[in-house]
Amino acid sequence: MKPFTYLQATDVPSALRAISSSPDARFIGGGTNLVDLMKYGVEQPAHLIDIGKLPLANIEPLPGGGVRIGALARNSDIANHLLIREKAPLLAEAIVAGASPQLRNAATAGGNLMQRTRCYYFYDTGFTQCNKRIPGSGCAARDGLNRIHAILGTSDKCIATNPSDMSVALAAIGATVQVQGNSGPRSIPFADFHRLPGETPQIDTNLNKEELITAIDVPGFPFALNYCYLKVRDRRSYAFALVSVAAMIDVRAGKIHDVRFALGGVAPKPWRVPAAEQQVIGQEPGAEAYGNAADVALKGARTFPHNAFKLELARRSIIRALTTAAVKGERNGNVG
Amino acid sequence: MALRVVGSSVQRKEVFAKVTGLAEYVDDVRLPGMIHGLTIRSTVARGRIREIAFEPGVPWDEFVIVTARDIPGKNIVSLINDDQPYLAEEFVNHLHEPVLLLAHGDKDLLRKARGLVRIEYDPLPAIFQLEDATEVMKSYQITKGDVDSVWAQAAFIVDGEYSTGAQEHVYIETNGMVATYDAEAGVTVRGSLQCPFYLQKALMTLFGLPAGKIRIIQQETGGAFGGKEEYPSMIAGHAALLAWKAGRPVKLVYDREEDMAATTKRHPSRTRHRTAVDSEGRLLAMDIEFTIDGGAYTTLSAVVLSRGTIHAAGPYRCDNIRVRSSALTTNTPPHGAFRGFGAPQSLFALERQMDRVARAAGLSPEELRRRNLLHTGDTSSTGQTMQQPLDLEGLQRRALDAAGFDEKVERFARENRTSARKRGIGFATFMHGAGFTGSGERYLQSVVRLETTAEGKVRILASMTEMGQGTNTVLTQIAAESLGTEYSQVEMARPDTALVPNSGPTVASRTSMIVGKLVEKAAAELKKALPLPCDYSPAEFGECVRQHYASDGAVSAEAHYQEPPGVHWDDANYRGDAYGAYSWATYVAEVTVDTATGEVQVDDFTALQEIGRVLNPVLASGQIEGGVIQGLGWALYENVQWKDGGMVNNQMTNYVIPTSMDVPRMKVLFEEVPYEHGAMGAKGIGELPMDGPAPAVLNAVENALGIDFFHLPLLPEEVLSALGHVG
Repeated sequence: MKPFTYLQATDVPSALRAISSSPDARFIGGGTNLVDLMKYGVEQPAHLIDIGKLPLANIEPLPGGGVRIGALARNSDIANHLLIREKAPLLAEAIVAGASPQLRNAATAGGNLMQRTRCYYFYDTGFTQCNKRIPGSGCAARDGLNRIHAILGTSDKCIATNPSDMSVALAAIGATVQVQGNSGPRSIPFADFHRLPGETPQIDTNLNKEELITAIDVPGFPFALNYCYLKVRDRRSYAFALVSVAAMIDVRAGKIHDVRFALGGVAPKPWRVPAAEQQVIGQEPGAEAYGNAADVALKGARTFPHNAFKLELARRSIIRALTTAAVKGERNGNVG
Repeated sequence: MALRVVGSSVQRKEVFAKVTGLAEYVDDVRLPGMIHGLTIRSTVARGRIREIAFEPGVPWDEFVIVTARDIPGKNIVSLINDDQPYLAEEFVNHLHEPVLLLAHGDKDLLRKARGLVRIEYDPLPAIFQLEDATEVMKSYQITKGDVDSVWAQAAFIVDGEYSTGAQEHVYIETNGMVATYDAEAGVTVRGSLQCPFYLQKALMTLFGLPAGKIRIIQQETGGAFGGKEEYPSMIAGHAALLAWKAGRPVKLVYDREEDMAATTKRHPSRTRHRTAVDSEGRLLAMDIEFTIDGGAYTTLSAVVLSRGTIHAAGPYRCDNIRVRSSALTTNTPPHGAFRGFGAPQSLFALERQMDRVARAAGLSPEELRRRNLLHTGDTSSTGQTMQQPLDLEGLQRRALDAAGFDEKVERFARENRTSARKRGIGFATFMHGAGFTGSGERYLQSVVRLETTAEGKVRILASMTEMGQGTNTVLTQIAAESLGTEYSQVEMARPDTALVPNSGPTVASRTSMIVGKLVEKAAAELKKALPLPCDYSPAEFGECVRQHYASDGAVSAEAHYQEPPGVHWDDANYRGDAYGAYSWATYVAEVTVDTATGEVQVDDFTALQEIGRVLNPVLASGQIEGGVIQGLGWALYENVQWKDGGMVNNQMTNYVIPTSMDVPRMKVLFEEVPYEHGAMGAKGIGELPMDGPAPAVLNAVENALGIDFFHLPLLPEEVLSALGHVG
């Protein structure tokens, strides 16, 4: 491992000052991803700024029925929090579908948003080609083993997927990321937080390097209890999604009144297509409507030699997730 | 004798050291002046080494560098065919082949140096798949009767081709060695290993030194599963070469990525079956072609192939059997020993084929097998007469009853009509031969010694290694009961070639059955050598040993392996008694297949086996549970992904093994039919549980979907594709 300095930040302004002091400085929260990446030599920061002690771990109600999740709230604490269980159970279910209890106990909310892809070729420095790790070096996954890779939103430069489960739920819910920079705070709508690779796959998010995530705001939904997080993966625990779907649905008088869904495991960012949701509003709930929504959401998908199965799997998973959410809705009396 | 130690679940011998952190694994070893070693490996699958250059960037004069030219003895990892070099000299034959060794006190500098060694190759064409391989490393043929004479009389003929992928051991502790060299004492290597005397033999050839100058000591070993049978000879040689050249102790420990990519894995295989049955479903002919991918060098492929070949026709009675088998050379890292040793591959094919034959013959899977299972007095494919009392139909039925098989077959068929989640139940009936194949045990000539200590205890001296499976505990139980002393009054000597006799390698499900029997015999000899009264308590035994030690010094007794009477093996024609004893089993798997996602989940598993005598119920169940989980991993999860002859998903994140969440409810049941030549009646069990899960699961998937699958691992996308959802 490359030697690095370590600084424990005591407040947000000093953390921001420290991150601005060097281009090779990085924030560390739970460390569940960054430490791995450092061990593998994928990331080699010269300075680590530990934000673990900053007072950003609260989970509190927002006016209007939403919840504010502090950036340093641990994944386990979020999933187990009464407010989340009541206001955004989809988020709780998505979090619990990821990683292992030990990791969830350590990983933070902000860190979850920042975790990097699990593409083999990104993780293994033995491969010289990876545009995300070494810009301009090429993409070994395109002609390599791309079973776990993306079918949507890819570019010639990169076909890696975003590994987060929590982010898929946040995308479906339409959360807002609160960040703080040296020049003040700003809000980033969740859909704009992660980036598509385009020509610059090395940049995962629209967070500036000198900004710090302080909180994630989750809006309240009248139909938050009609939800499903479906994760298809190679084993029941401790595996990234081949395909995942976060879904919520509101059925009134036998018609779809409102619906939200997003996909994981298929794209470089959590994949939500509002047009796909709009498409089925007013239709009768059921496999046909959900299939129509899936077709819009998956439009433009491009598969690779080893992941052709993901397209059909994604379509079926959307239908399954929306069906399950709707059944939950029926049990809840479809109280909108 | 009133004392009962065998048959009870006594506490593991080394448990205290393991749970308190006192146990010393190889990476815990720190010797004065010790430096670290690193292996530079080939980056092409096959080629001629044109040039090796050391680019500037590190103080190269501080590094110890070993190349093939430095080797004092023969550049051969001595095992079976002597075709594998310790370090590639002119040619490399697989990716990750060791080319040169570096050592330095600073690990970071060492890693930096790795990137500065530039090796130029003239690449040569390479072969990566069984389908493209033509060079035969080893082949066998078993002929019983004449298969070609009966095809015409067959009522049904069923063909099938089955294949299995590689499997990584994923032992918790990666491979590692610490070596020292001293002109006087010679080479000493400590490490994580299964077979100390294999390493000694290999290093004698490498250094041209006699046995007295090569000492191998086993450190606490964190799992092996066969993965530390042959490859440790390579790592020990590398560490020893560096220590010899450096004049300082050298530690060489692999990280997980190197261990997964460079060391051995289970042999990928392909099996073709043509089976003929008469109108009653009785087997007329079994024609089997069994092929395994040996990788670039022979290592143990010849013997893995042998076991797979002998198990290929399974527990069935058939007058006409032909098994033609071969291990082929490819340009991947050599495949090697892994729990089951060839038998899981050929038994997977057979037990899938038997379900398909049953369907062709219009019989249930149980009935087809019932009409063909071996009985006492029948002969196996090699012509071995079954001497033991055998009731395989009964064993099979009891397993099916325990699993609720009949009721579930009926119920699942009914429920599946209205569900997208289809349930199914399937099973496999099989056996595993314990001990070395054929004349192997006779050649090994294993020895065990017991000796008394000043404290009134008895120490077992054997080369058997503890790697988590319970060797120390079980051998101690056998000795304590045979001697009439307490379990706590028997200790195990650490496997150290300078101190213990050669009791053979800790492989092939032989430890309890064969070496345990030697412990039992040596205990009887030791009792004769002590002035014990006719009847004595454990306390009186201890007192007698203590007093005798004080007056006359230590007493020791040895037992040497002797073949059971009436055992014959013809190695040239592959005829005769292939194994001293077999363990028998029926495993039943219950699955749910999600037709929307292609996921297969094993919900329930019943493992019933006849293993002679259960020496320690907790350890025996643990072996079965662990083996079943490893078998489920091979069947449904573990997918070694290859690219240009190398494993690319060589990380725990991307190589998917089952977690506790994936493990089904499990019933482990034993039947005991004591085997007179095994320790206290025991037969081997370590490998048996690897053989049954995969065919049982795929038979259950067939039962759920009505679709046959022929390849392992069975991944969700293959299920989806077979369901017609993916083009």
